[in-house]
Amino acid sequence: MYLFSVKTIQAYRLVVFFLALTIAPTLNLVLLGQPDLLDVLNEGVEEPSLPVTATFKDTRIVNGQSNETPAGGVLHFVIAHRFGRINEGAYALWGLDNATMRMGFDYGITDRFSLGVARSTLGKTYEGSVKARLIRQKSGSKSFPFGVTWYSVAMCDGLRWENPDRENYFSSRLSYVHQLVIARKWNQALSLALTPSYLHRNLVATQQDDHDRWALGMAGRYKVSNRFSVNAEYFAQIRQPAAFSNGLSLGVDIETGGHVFQLHVTNARAMFERGFIFETPGSWRNGDLYFGFNLSRVFTVQTR
Amino acid sequence: MLNKTHFAAIALAAFLWSQTSNASAQQFMARNGEVSFSSSTPVEDIAASSKQMSCILDASTGAFAFQIPIRSFHFEKALMEEHFNENYMESAQFPNGIFKGNFVNWNATNLKDGKPHSLEARGELTIHGVTVQRTITGTITWKDGKWVMQAQFKVPTAAHEIAIPDVVKEKIAKEIQVNVNATLTAK
Repeated sequence: MYLFSVKTIQAYRLVVFFLALTIAPTLNLVLLGQPDLLDVLNEGVEEPSLPVTATFKDTRIVNGQSNETPAGGVLHFVIAHRFGRINEGAYALWGLDNATMRMGFDYGITDRFSLGVARSTLGKTYEGSVKARLIRQKSGSKSFPFGVTWYSVAMCDGLRWENPDRENYFSSRLSYVHQLVIARKWNQALSLALTPSYLHRNLVATQQDDHDRWALGMAGRYKVSNRFSVNAEYFAQIRQPAAFSNGLSLGVDIETGGHVFQLHVTNARAMFERGFIFETPGSWRNGDLYFGFNLSRVFTVQTR
Repeated sequence: MLNKTHFAAIALAAFLWSQTSNASAQQFMARNGEVSFSSSTPVEDIAASSKQMSCILDASTGAFAFQIPIRSFHFEKALMEEHFNENYMESAQFPNGIFKGNFVNWNATNLKDGKPHSLEARGELTIHGVTVQRTITGTITWKDGKWVMQAQFKVPTAAHEIAIPDVVKEKIAKEIQVNVNATLTAK
């Protein structure tokens, strides 16, 4: 039935295998000349697994946090301006008369962990924050598809007590927002982020208000050139109270050396998380829009 | 189990193997060569370095190549490093700097006298995805069975289509000074 026995076939297979193994490089030398030295150099070398950098240009996308933190030893300073409502009209020069601002300092303790303090004129609000890159997006042989950054901020209302005669507690001034920024750089131009956010207020205005609230942030940036990008951001509140809108912001980033300029239009006036995610009275539909710009600058305090 | 056919195959394999590996015995390699570069202007001095250059030399022919991952360059300032990769070198798209060429008048026997020799390497330098024909002069020394190589050369950013915007033109030199340094051991 069979032309060759199984044993003979096995033996021939072995011969062919060895011949192929040994002749291939020789044939290569004879037929193609020297093998490419770069191929020899890269033989058996894995593509290095590197963290994906610059998912966003700054630590904020528009109002909300990006996955980025300042590098270790770097002080990141942001001055943010938010003008009044554009629909205030010519009398208030379309909002330019009523500017509020926020000064923020963030310091990178390491490349993955930073601490921040800030002060806004709105509500005379102080902030203390921590931000940490828990997981980094990675390319190469051990790639990982997205990064996760944790952000927590404590906000302290600095206004004088509305009713100084009653017993007021310091803790009533405090509110907290905790977020996870889940971000992915899809390619050199497009980056997207999802930001589940949780708010806790120690004191609320009325009995009907919740102490605890949730929202989901959605944001993206598209790089038009190496130094110019278009950004958009939306925070969807869960069980949104009728008095408040969801924050929608559009902006651009312009990078010049050590500065990033961010210009934007948003319906949120506040520049701290409790305000721009959960307490935005203005709505796009009514034209309650604010023009704003951020100017950020880094200072290398400790070289690497 | 080991019949005549097996034996013949193994013997043949061993013979051919010894023949082919002869060629690679002439190959010398380095995996941790050093590269540094600097840009100097009256406004700002910028410098970065890497110890991840890999090099290969075929001592029988004088063929030579090196490769350097752009991401491996480290700067004192983190933001500079980010801009270097994102805005200038576009390292996600062009991950390596590569030179591939030949030493001119290569003669391994004459070079193995333990003294430094100045030698020209002619070939293609690829940076930022743009290949330029270059002749680079370097020093090569045969020392304790290793080839020690050093070279200094200039890379004009415009030749490799590395765009520098007007606002930072005063801060970045038109020609970047590059130093390479490697000790190649037998493969």
